[in-house]
Amino acid sequence: MTALRVLAKDLKLHARDARFLATLALFSLSLVLILSVAFGPLFRDPAREASATLWAALFFAGVLGLTRALDLESESGGGEALRLTGADPFSVYAGKATANFLLMAALWVLLLPCAAVFFDVGTLEVLPEVAVVAALALIGYAAWGTLFAALARGLKARELLLSILLFPTLIPLWIGAVKLTRSLWAEGSIDAVRDWVKIMVVVDVLGIALAAWLYETIQEAEE
Amino acid sequence: MTSGIPGWLTRSRRVVWALAIVLVAASLWAVVARAPIEVQMGVVQKIVYIHVPSAIATLVAFGLTFAASIAYLATRAWIWDAIAASACEVGMVFATIVLVSGPLWARSAWNTWWTWEPRLTSFLIMWILYGGYHVVRASVAGNSKKTISAVLGVVLFLNLPIVWKSVEWWRGSLHPRSVTMTGDMRQTLLLSMAAWLVFFLAVFRERVRLEALRHAEEEVERAR
Repeated sequence: MTALRVLAKDLKLHARDARFLATLALFSLSLVLILSVAFGPLFRDPAREASATLWAALFFAGVLGLTRALDLESESGGGEALRLTGADPFSVYAGKATANFLLMAALWVLLLPCAAVFFDVGTLEVLPEVAVVAALALIGYAAWGTLFAALARGLKARELLLSILLFPTLIPLWIGAVKLTRSLWAEGSIDAVRDWVKIMVVVDVLGIALAAWLYETIQEAEE
Repeated sequence: MTSGIPGWLTRSRRVVWALAIVLVAASLWAVVARAPIEVQMGVVQKIVYIHVPSAIATLVAFGLTFAASIAYLATRAWIWDAIAASACEVGMVFATIVLVSGPLWARSAWNTWWTWEPRLTSFLIMWILYGGYHVVRASVAGNSKKTISAVLGVVLFLNLPIVWKSVEWWRGSLHPRSVTMTGDMRQTLLLSMAAWLVFFLAVFRERVRLEALRHAEEEVERAR
C-alpha cells in the first residue's frame, strides 16, 4: 500500500512537471537522431545499429529522469516527510523504482517507433518479444538507478556521479538488451543469444535484492 | 593525537617495510637476472611478473574493501571505514598498474594494445566503478560519508566475481584460465607475488594509519 502511494506521489510530481517531460522527450529523440546520422545513411547491420541507438538513447536520457525525480522530491520536501511517516523503506524504494520504470517505459514507447522508422527495422510480429526484452532491461535500470540515485541524493554534480556508477554496473544489461533486440529484429528469434535473458534476470534480481538489504541504511545516512 | 591509532598499525611497522623492500628488490633482481627470456615473446614477457601480482593485489584490496564495508555497516566502528577506504585507494593504484602493464604485454602477445575481450573489459569496468567510489566519497560531507561509502563498497564488489570468472563464462577470452610455469619462471612469479603482496600490506597499513590520524584529529576538534 505504501509503495502504491509513493508511486502515485512520484507520478503526480512528474505529471506536474510537463515542461521537463517534454524536454526529456526531445533530448532522447535528439540522441536517436544524432546516432542515426552517425551510423547512416547506409547502414551495414540496421538491426544492430537501431537497437544500439535505441538503448544508448534510453540509458543516457534515463539518468536525467532519475535525478529529476530526486530534485522534485527535495524541492517539495516530500523525502523528508516520507521519512517522518516511518514508512517501510523497501516499500518507499519499490514505489520510487516503479515510478522510474514507468517513466523509462514511456520513453521506450516514444523512441521505439522512431528507431524502427529511421533504421527501417522491426515488425509487429516480434513486438511482444521486444517489449519483454525492454521490460527486463528497464526493470534492472529502475532497480539499480533508484538505488544509486538515493546514494547520490544531495551531492554536487549528481548526474555525473550517477552516470559513472550506473553505466558501468548496467553494461551486462545494456549488452543483453542490444543483442536480444537486434536478434529479434534481424532473425525473428533470440535462439542464438538466449543466455543473455538469464544474465539480465540475474542483474535485475541482484539490484532488487541489494536495495532490499541496503535502502534503509541509505535512508538513515541521509538523516 | 596518536592515542586513537590501533596498536596493530604501529607495531612492527619497520619490520613490515623492511621485509617489503627486501622482497621487492629480490623479486626485481629475479625478474631481471634469474627468470629466463621467453622464446616467442622475448623480454616483454617479463611484464607478467608485475602484471599478475598487481592483479592479485587489486582483487585482495577490493575484497578487503567489501569485507570492511560489511563490518562497518554491522558495527559502525570508524576503523572499518578507514580500512575499506584505504584498501580501495591502494587497490586503485594496483588496478592502474594492471591496466597499464596489460596493453604493453598485449601489444607483443596479441599484436594489439587493446581488445574487447571479457577480462580486459570487465577489469576496466571495475576500475571505473571503484574510481566512482572515491569520487562519491570525496563528495559526501558529514556523518553520512562512512555509510554511503560502505554501501558502495558492498555494491561494487559484485564486479569482482565477474572479473575473476570472465575467462570461463565468456567464449573468446584471450586471457589464459590459469598460468602454468615451471622452474625459474615459476619461482620468480611466486616470489613476485609474495613481494608485491607484502608491499601492498605495508602501503595499506600506512594508509590506514593516515585515516586513523585524521580520525584522531577530528575527535580532538570535536572535543574543543
